[in-house]
Amino acid sequence: MIPLVYYLAGAIALYIIGMYCLASKRNMIRLVIGIEILMNAAHLTFIVFSAYRTVGYIDPLGHAIVIMSIVFAGCVTAVALTIVTYAYRHYGTLDVRKLRRLKG
Amino acid sequence: MFTEPLDVLLIFTVATPVVGWVAYRKAYRKILGIYVALGLSVTAYFLYELYREVAEKGVVLIVGQLPFNPPLGACLEIDMLSVFMAFLYTISGLFAAVYSIKYMEHDTGLTEYYTLLLGMIAGMTGVAFAGDFFTLFVFWELMCLTSYALVAFRKQRWESIEAGFKYLIMSAAGSATILLAMSFLYGMTGTVNFAALATSLNNATPDGWLYVTLTLIIVGFGIKAAIVPFHTWLPDAHSAAPSPISALLSGVMVQTGAYALIRILILVFGSMQSMWQMTLAIFAVFTMFGGNIMALSQNDLKRLLAFSTIAQMGYIIFGLSMASLSGLTGSLFHIMNHAIMKGLLFLCAGSFIHQAKTRDLRKLRGIRKTMPLTSAFFAIGVIAIIAIPPLNGFWSELMIVMAGIEAEMIPFSALMLANMIFSVVYYIRVLRMILLEKPTAVSKKATEAPAAMLIPTLILAALCIIIGVYPEPFITMASRAAEALLNLQTYIGSML
Amino acid sequence: MRIDWVRVAGITVVVSVVLIFSMLVLRSEFPVFDHVEPVEIETTEFLWTYRLIDMIAQAFVLFAAAACCVAVLRVKEKKK
Repeated sequence: MIPLVYYLAGAIALYIIGMYCLASKRNMIRLVIGIEILMNAAHLTFIVFSAYRTVGYIDPLGHAIVIMSIVFAGCVTAVALTIVTYAYRHYGTLDVRKLRRLKG
Repeated sequence: MFTEPLDVLLIFTVATPVVGWVAYRKAYRKILGIYVALGLSVTAYFLYELYREVAEKGVVLIVGQLPFNPPLGACLEIDMLSVFMAFLYTISGLFAAVYSIKYMEHDTGLTEYYTLLLGMIAGMTGVAFAGDFFTLFVFWELMCLTSYALVAFRKQRWESIEAGFKYLIMSAAGSATILLAMSFLYGMTGTVNFAALATSLNNATPDGWLYVTLTLIIVGFGIKAAIVPFHTWLPDAHSAAPSPISALLSGVMVQTGAYALIRILILVFGSMQSMWQMTLAIFAVFTMFGGNIMALSQNDLKRLLAFSTIAQMGYIIFGLSMASLSGLTGSLFHIMNHAIMKGLLFLCAGSFIHQAKTRDLRKLRGIRKTMPLTSAFFAIGVIAIIAIPPLNGFWSELMIVMAGIEAEMIPFSALMLANMIFSVVYYIRVLRMILLEKPTAVSKKATEAPAAMLIPTLILAALCIIIGVYPEPFITMASRAAEALLNLQTYIGSML
Repeated sequence: MRIDWVRVAGITVVVSVVLIFSMLVLRSEFPVFDHVEPVEIETTEFLWTYRLIDMIAQAFVLFAAAACCVAVLRVKEKKK
């Protein structure tokens, strides 16, 4: 079995990649995907921990949490994409820099 | 299923589209607002029953499905603090709903608006009631999702869409951070139940992963609580949302973040108390200064109020960071006062916007001449928020400063006093512009707000004065809530 | 708003079909895992028994998400 810390390192790498994506990308769709990556980092750690509790079995709590949490990630993405759709339809751009009409 | 108040809220949320379908004609639109106000009143009644039950038993109330008990099962755990917060949510929601009847009459999509409004209040109440980290997260998402759409609600304007998207991205990143922190807690203890987490982590020696988890929790909830490096969504979202929603966002939703933060820090991270106390106090000072300094140069009324909210969150978080009875009492009392004062200010600002069609302070000069009542209520709100003695803001801010001195955090208390003087500077400027200066063309054309909008502001202004003159019963309520927060034995003991 | 009879008929048909089918389903009995090989599966009932409150709250979150999408994508009503 691969040691737990490798998975944790992977999850934290995913988290950092997601944060980097949110900080640097300018395309609205990419920002939404960044949110998905962040959520998946958390899901990965849940799954890994639940698998490592007792060797040979899984802890159902972690899986139950992930099953429900995936739905929330989907909900957030859906709402985000409706806003993106609206913005694109009316303003003809997906670039957040062009949306910067507000100051500070 | 989830105790009566939350059940009522959720059922009314789901039934709103049906009422909206019945009230399809423009003339019937008022039914929706009245229906929502009715739902919130029923909730308030059931909350009172719940309060009596909690007060009578003297302990917390567990709601879950027996016999599958915690620590694995989902559950709600209600103590005085939960009831206290839920009361604030319901009452603020009631004022916002009544105010919306007139304010939103020209908007389309009222059915969705009221559905989301009720959903948001239900989510916040659920956050206050949750006794399990993941249950809290479920209701947290309900609150967040509805507020995203409400901020972007007036989507004809460029500003709303942009503010909504920015808010969505930042807040969803915060939610993901909370989830990651939850996964680490789960990995350490094998449970996400608050009481079980508290017992397993109480005597844990702080190690690297625990510090990481603590940081993630402070960041995740700090985004919602508008702690300063993570506050950038707040001014945009507050000024882009319709005014009743701004009142709700600023009055209670931001405080929900502070509530969840302090609940988890006190319960779970008791072994690292000195560490997070210092961190929170430093963040609080940054928050106060950030909010007040940014507010100094604002000419947009709602943005100014939004930055002032950030500053007030600094006071609240400073009070919470002491984790002593007096500090928590002051903070909770200030949360309550802030919900009332900021609700009043945002609703008055909404009346100005509705009647004068502008948010620019320079154009709103001298509007007292044409809108005397709203201006008077606005002035009461301002006087309360800058802590002038006979009104409610004074008591709670004084309590926080005194508690800081008591807890030997005198430099922080001094900084908070300095900030209170800062806030006087810009609020006096606003008051002078509205009350004393000569009317501009825009403010001459405005007329007094209609009665449906005046009555909620009138009641809120009256509450400011009543709490200011008789603070004792309200301070007692806040201190009972603070006791419940600090009484870990009861909270854990009744669960396990 | 004029009452759209096509829509009313559609809704009536849907509601009656739902009622009829739910009646039929309630009368009959589904062979719940009658044909399954005997394997011990205990963990699968976890979500239902332990996390019921979360599941129900989740339904409301889904409802709220749908309402959010409808609110953002609503079309402007025509002036009458």
